[in-house]
Amino acid sequence: MAIEKILKDDASEEKGERARMASFVGAIAITDLVKTTLGPKGMDKILQSTGRGHEVTVTNDGATILKSLHIDNPAAKVLIDISKVQDDEVGDGTTSVVVLAGELLREAEKLVAAKIHPVTIISVYNNVCLFYRLRMASECARNALLQRVVDNKENAGYAFILYYLPNVLGFDKEHFAQLAVDAVMRLKGSTNLEAIQIIKKPGGSLKDSFLDEGFILDKKIGLGQPKRIENAKILVANTAMDTDKVKIYGARVRVDSMSKVAEIEGAEKEKMREKVKKIMAHGINCFVNRQLIYNFPEELFADASILAIEHADFDGIERLALVTGGEIASTFDNPESVKLGHCKLIEEIMIGEDKLIHFSGVEMGQACTVVLRGASHHVLDEAERSLHDALCVLSQTVNDTRVLLGGGWPEMVMAKEVDELARKTPGKKSHAIEAFSRALVAIPTIIADNAGLDSADLVAQLRAEHHKEGCNAGIDVISGSVGDMAELGIAESFKVKQAVLLSAIEAAEMILRVDEIITCAPRKREDRM
Amino acid sequence: MAAVTAAQPRSSKTESYVDNKRKEDIRQANIKAARAVADAVRTSLGPKGMDKMISTANGEVIITNDGATILNKMEVLQPAAKMLVDLSKSQDSAAGDGTTTVVVIAGALLKQCLLLLTNGIHPTVISDSLHKASTKAVDVLTAMAVPLEISDRESLIKSASTSLNSKVVSQYSTLLAPLAVDSVLSVVDPAKPDMVDLRDIKIVKKLGGTVDDTELVKGLVFDKKASHAAGGPTRMENAKIAVIQFQISPPKTDIEQSIVVSDYTQMDRILKEERNYILGMIKKIKATGCNVLLIQKSILRDAVTDLSLHYLAKAKIMVIKDVEREDIEFITKTLNCLPIANIEHFRAEKLGHADLVEEVSLGDGKIVKVTGIKDMGRTTTVLIRGSNQLVIDEAERSLHDALCVVRCLVSKRFLIAGGGAPEIELSRQLGAWSKVLHGMEGYCVRSFAEALEVIPYTLAENAGLNRIAIVTELRNRHAQGEINAGINVRKGQITNILEENVVQPLLVSTSAITLATECVRMILKIDDIVNVRDSTMVSTAKYLLSSRILYGGFFLNFLLCLFVFFSKLCFLVNNETIHMQHAHLAIQALL
Repeated sequence: MAIEKILKDDASEEKGERARMASFVGAIAITDLVKTTLGPKGMDKILQSTGRGHEVTVTNDGATILKSLHIDNPAAKVLIDISKVQDDEVGDGTTSVVVLAGELLREAEKLVAAKIHPVTIISVYNNVCLFYRLRMASECARNALLQRVVDNKENAGYAFILYYLPNVLGFDKEHFAQLAVDAVMRLKGSTNLEAIQIIKKPGGSLKDSFLDEGFILDKKIGLGQPKRIENAKILVANTAMDTDKVKIYGARVRVDSMSKVAEIEGAEKEKMREKVKKIMAHGINCFVNRQLIYNFPEELFADASILAIEHADFDGIERLALVTGGEIASTFDNPESVKLGHCKLIEEIMIGEDKLIHFSGVEMGQACTVVLRGASHHVLDEAERSLHDALCVLSQTVNDTRVLLGGGWPEMVMAKEVDELARKTPGKKSHAIEAFSRALVAIPTIIADNAGLDSADLVAQLRAEHHKEGCNAGIDVISGSVGDMAELGIAESFKVKQAVLLSAIEAAEMILRVDEIITCAPRKREDRM
Repeated sequence: MAAVTAAQPRSSKTESYVDNKRKEDIRQANIKAARAVADAVRTSLGPKGMDKMISTANGEVIITNDGATILNKMEVLQPAAKMLVDLSKSQDSAAGDGTTTVVVIAGALLKQCLLLLTNGIHPTVISDSLHKASTKAVDVLTAMAVPLEISDRESLIKSASTSLNSKVVSQYSTLLAPLAVDSVLSVVDPAKPDMVDLRDIKIVKKLGGTVDDTELVKGLVFDKKASHAAGGPTRMENAKIAVIQFQISPPKTDIEQSIVVSDYTQMDRILKEERNYILGMIKKIKATGCNVLLIQKSILRDAVTDLSLHYLAKAKIMVIKDVEREDIEFITKTLNCLPIANIEHFRAEKLGHADLVEEVSLGDGKIVKVTGIKDMGRTTTVLIRGSNQLVIDEAERSLHDALCVVRCLVSKRFLIAGGGAPEIELSRQLGAWSKVLHGMEGYCVRSFAEALEVIPYTLAENAGLNRIAIVTELRNRHAQGEINAGINVRKGQITNILEENVVQPLLVSTSAITLATECVRMILKIDDIVNVRDSTMVSTAKYLLSSRILYGGFFLNFLLCLFVFFSKLCFLVNNETIHMQHAHLAIQALL
């Protein structure tokens, strides 16, 4: 019985078992791809662009890897999305979330094969998750208390960064952890990471990286202008400093003699001079413009010994306005209404071979700049990503000081609880609960595998340790054995962990519910190219 | 791709054997590729190293001995090999010299790593041990170093000549080494004695003569003629120099303009007005006593016209036109003057003064020299001569290395012996240290120590010596406590290399070791290569899409052409103040 074709040409439809299969395969493939980057001894990936130039990125950051993948599988796209969301929300745990979701799906697949309805699995996952969260929060309360007694707040953050910074930074971890903690402590509790500027300069080694209080702008000071200004009053602007043109199409001047042209040219110059005068009327000694400053106004500024910086990028001026407490101005008629930025000292400094402009003693005391140095662009980019993760987590932790122990400790504690729950639950549900606990255990397993350790043995040992009450055991990848996480000072943020768990379960749930995939026909390209 | 490998999902990880075969393959492929790159430059190491001839895609030929240049032109594609290219670049920016050394060391380290990997040591363990070893190595090197006074010109020259001796232009090292030292010392600012900005040293290349004719000019050199139109002066004593950024040509407004001519009498009048206008400007210039004009290049309108040149010649003003915008800073710094952007601001106090500005014929062209500048800024110009372009280019690269060496010494005032002495000493000390370490660490550090011997090996090999005999003797001498024994390539034997005046800055050695280690560690950690989409293509596509929405598909092609054209234009004239923005604006205006 031939049914008329419902879908367009090239569109396809996959149903039931096949659809589920496709999503499982896609999700698990993604998981396997990023799995090896998990943990302090995770490996890096080379991302090679297929476009012109074949640019190369070396990274360990889950979000970065996933973001740049070619993916056609819808389920895989869901995982990539959750990793992105994780990145935006808490900034770290981007790999963990994908791995956990993948492991949950891997287990779910077996359950489905054993004739357990996906909806049952989902409801169990959800229930367990709820249970897990409550337990984790209470564990946390216990732990945070413990943590606070042992260390003060700052040290907790420090130890915890040590664990988190990916291994590219290697032995310079301590240095970087200190950098990150100092930077976040300057923020005084705000999570506005914009005030922390990261500048990358190739050359030197990672150890030469430093934290600088103040703001650094990678631009040049105009010719003949002072290179050093104390008690600077800064006007940050976004305005055209060539000529104010009539921007209507077809506007033109019609004259009948050369002298008139000269007059108009003179008038244009005069307008510019007016504008510069207005700008100077603000009583400033530093002018930063996002657009170019042409030779003529540059000279006027030089004559008035005003430091003028042209062509600062968008990001640069927004941040500069933020940290110096000024506003970005584009009209200059009312000097009183424009808020100027202030700083104690502006001077030219040299980092490596380049000259940069340094603003110190800025209005917003929280602001600081981290200057990263490193052998190559790859090292620098990766260091920036790691530092960014660390900063995100730290700033979150400063607000929510609850921390969990690291090294697979929370997973093991929960797995134990979940296992007990499974034993108490009658019926098919208990299978799903057990599956959940297996998925949790997969995380310490992967961490151990990545460190080249015998995961089967270690995880078994860990499980045995955890059978005792109030145990702090976790995997110590440095020595390759089971160790006391509280003693080693390895901790992770509760907020990150919670976000990982919630998003992973949500994603798994979403993928499990799918029983049909419809692929639409690709939009045709017009042949105009 | 990934989907295929995972087509049969494995059962739970806890129960299965992990197949890491693919990862090993990728790591090995990476290491092999990187080593291939290192091998390519290995033969150019040392004073008797050979040169490479590179013929680039556009038919240009380069002969060089400089590691960074060779690698740069090789256009490698393999990602790990690319990292080695970057490595030599960063050595270039950090120390300026030792660009070959750093790559050779990295290659040797990778070779040892491959061995360690096949012995089943985990890459992170290797990586951590390498890091430890390199920190220790830096300590050892620092302990070996000899402090230096900046006033000690002899020592500075010695180290500059060590660098130059390994180059194509080595026979001129007696000339170039003192030149490099003098030029760096002349730009050191007494207020900031540790900082040297090499941009304050301008290198001008001019074909003709030989490298022997290379000279240090206390003043400015322009690689262009003075304007000869209408017989303007080409030599000016007691020059008053103005750097101008405006144009001496008929006026032009930023708004589009048109002059309406209705009858022929008006034409005469307009021509006359034009003449008067220019004459007026030149009178103002003359009134300040200025007699040399440096005019910035302009693309929006003619910087000078024949007419204005004529008047300038009449006014006995020497003109040098088409000065690049980025050179203005250097020029004003040297002349101790201010650029002038408007005729109204043309005042005597903005002028620079020099005893002599003259046009000199050199080889096939002419240059303009400015000497005897009053209150000259801390800058220096080096004029390089050579019989062909290849020699000149190589001389420039070699001189750059020599300048960097001197700069290193100014910022970090320590010298270390050359000739493989530091490497063999490191190898010995680290070897001893590895014996007190435990476990894998000791094993890896020993490999690191062995890898460092590659430098003396290569030095001996390139000099045509028996490398095994030489290196074993060297090791022996070091074991007896002669830490400065090194390979004397000229004599073909082991001597105290400090006495032979073969010295190099400490910074070059330390940064070579730390950078090479950092790079090797990075390569070790990589276990997969993932192909990703190109971000620039995405942005282009987005741009096209948005423009399609804006203007409809019909304009698409037209728009693209325009965009490409404008971006090319911007590329050509990027020293001018035209910017991409304008290109966009122009497109919009046209539509």
